[in-house]
Amino acid sequence: MSSLTLREQAVVAAVHGTGQLRLRLLEMGFIPGTKVTLVKRAPLGDPLEFSLRGSHLSLRTTEAALIEVQNP
Amino acid sequence: MTGPRIALAGNPNVGKTSLFNALTGARHKVGNYAGVTVDIRSGQVQTASGLVTLQDLPGTYSLTPISEDEAVAYRCLTGSDTPPPAGVLLVVDAANLARNLYLVMQLTELGLPVCIALNMMDVAREAGLAIDPQKLGQELGVRVIPTIARTGDGVPEIIDALANSASWVAPADERRRRLLASGETTSTAVDELAGPARARWLQAAHAAGTTQLLNCKSDEREALRAVDRGTAEANAAHWIERRYREVDAVLDAIGYHNTTQAAVAPAMGRSERIDRILTHRIWGLLIFVGVMALLFQSIFAWAGPLMDGIEAIMGIVADATRTWLGPGVLTDLITEGVIGGVGNVIVFVPQIALLFLFLGLLEDTGYLARAAFLIDRIMARVGLHGRAFVPLLSGYACSIPAIMGTRTISSYRDRLVTMLMIPYMSCSARLPVYLLIIAALFPAEQRVGPLTVGGLMLLAMYALSTISALLIGAVFKRTILKSPTPPLVLELPPYRIPRLRNTFLHVYDRTGDFIRGAGTVILAMTVVLWALLSFPKPAADAPESQSPISVSIGGQVGQAMEPVMAPMGQDGQMAIAILGSFAAREVFVSTLGLVHGIEGADEEDAPLRELMADAKHPDGSPKHTPLSGLAVMVFFVYACQCMSTLAVLKRETQTWRWPIFAFVSMTGLAYVLAVAVYQVGRMLGYT
Repeated sequence: MSSLTLREQAVVAAVHGTGQLRLRLLEMGFIPGTKVTLVKRAPLGDPLEFSLRGSHLSLRTTEAALIEVQNP
Repeated sequence: MTGPRIALAGNPNVGKTSLFNALTGARHKVGNYAGVTVDIRSGQVQTASGLVTLQDLPGTYSLTPISEDEAVAYRCLTGSDTPPPAGVLLVVDAANLARNLYLVMQLTELGLPVCIALNMMDVAREAGLAIDPQKLGQELGVRVIPTIARTGDGVPEIIDALANSASWVAPADERRRRLLASGETTSTAVDELAGPARARWLQAAHAAGTTQLLNCKSDEREALRAVDRGTAEANAAHWIERRYREVDAVLDAIGYHNTTQAAVAPAMGRSERIDRILTHRIWGLLIFVGVMALLFQSIFAWAGPLMDGIEAIMGIVADATRTWLGPGVLTDLITEGVIGGVGNVIVFVPQIALLFLFLGLLEDTGYLARAAFLIDRIMARVGLHGRAFVPLLSGYACSIPAIMGTRTISSYRDRLVTMLMIPYMSCSARLPVYLLIIAALFPAEQRVGPLTVGGLMLLAMYALSTISALLIGAVFKRTILKSPTPPLVLELPPYRIPRLRNTFLHVYDRTGDFIRGAGTVILAMTVVLWALLSFPKPAADAPESQSPISVSIGGQVGQAMEPVMAPMGQDGQMAIAILGSFAAREVFVSTLGLVHGIEGADEEDAPLRELMADAKHPDGSPKHTPLSGLAVMVFFVYACQCMSTLAVLKRETQTWRWPIFAFVSMTGLAYVLAVAVYQVGRMLGYT
């Protein structure tokens, strides 16, 4: 998900990683089948801002890279 | 507290605090939850059927006990420390149902009686999100009351509902059964022991490695240890997906704008336009620097006149008391010890109030989340969350409010690392020490490029303190407080106009908390320190040249420390001043004045500067040189010469362990580095 281009929409396919971080990402709504859009990159290049489930969430590039997406 | 106890739960940024204040009329008390440093506010609501106690849980997205806040909410709701609440008043954001209903599903699993306050109805309407509270209520099987907490709409209805909390019901049983069905999960040893609802929370905590946050029984702990972590994680992931499936089913049933099917956020339209500037590549950074400069300026400079005013008033009170009681030891105890100690506590109030006023406004508007978003990249290098930035910056003004400001950091370990970094930031109390030494010992006219030597020295001290704080933080994150960089996973909430009343209440809470929690320790330390520097009194026939402070216990200890101080180029008189500055670093200047027989010296004091510059060893060489001055300044960069910092650390960590650690490690480091500077400097031929 970290390699999306600005305003590109995609669908969550799987959440990798382990333990705390993986559960946290799932609980914040990154579950398979959810549509996400990359809204913005922070001025310093990291973190990223995503739109999903009606709200905006910010993830670091390394965290977003754990989320596998496919194009809708 | 009397009457039934109702827990107030909800996601962050849903107006929970506004509702709490509206319901309780702001009459509340703040308590700590056993074993953790999360505050729980409770207040009473006057209803038609008597008083109801409302317990405000921390705002959380979920009840899965991964972070400290969530663990507290979970423990409170499941009654693991105190009896479970009679019911849960759940605040749900009508403009953000797709995320908020997740918490509803978790509450459904717990089977507690629930009443939902469907808040932000106005925002939902503006965003074009049609929502029928009654339909939602039918679907969930609980009462749903539409509210706009900011304007007070729906508050009377909530109070009515609280009056009849005995009639609240748990959410639809059918859904609960669906949520709790074992399905494709792997059964484990804890299932039978704890029952299906508790077992899934235990397993999630096991998978996240946070079982220490739960106070689980020993047999549960034993059983959990036998459970494979991968299995627990797969189960937990499965449950999370199932809850979201149920959320989507509810959204479909009530015909809510299906945000899961299109990744748009209707309630964020206006905020996205604002963010085009506030998180813009260039403007965003410039505005960030401006906002931070304003915050810093307010606690660094604006608090100054107020603090001077407090000191002046305390001085008048002390003088009046002295006149009234007449001279004597008791009078000195009261005026210098007790009144001085009270002054030492109150003097921090302006800075604390200003910082929390700023933090509150930034948080309520939604800008604090953007600030974390903008600066996270730099903080992540140290291993910290973007939220650690504002408290660290505040440390340049004063450690006391800064340490209190770390409460916005959700991971306890990271909070602790930040609290231990803050005292290294060069606070405003170090400035008089640097200024006195630079003015007394460094030539004013000598220049290095555009800067005077003194200016360069001052800059060097600030640079040294900043680099040291960041290095220390990075080291702690990798050693004694080893933990991975916390995930950012930060919601960027819609921008809102802040409610001043809520902010002022928060400022009042935190200030009161400081006075009660840290004030007594500061007062006691002031009295002890005063006694050490006042007794015994000099003999009646003592020579005029002998200053009273030098014969006191503190003075004698200082003189005795001369051999210890010699390697860093200092004498016994400096040792006394350093001991005295433990009350607060800037006291170094006035104590040094007293040692030299000058009353009420400040850093501008010409006689003190001259005395320092002219002081000679018996062999005729100068006592204080630029090199010895540099050693003292380096000592002050690192030394934890501030009892108030220690008192506030004790208050915030609920143990003496960390303040003692901070004092010993900082002062040890200060000594070693000051000696190193002096000795290496001498080897290189400097004086």
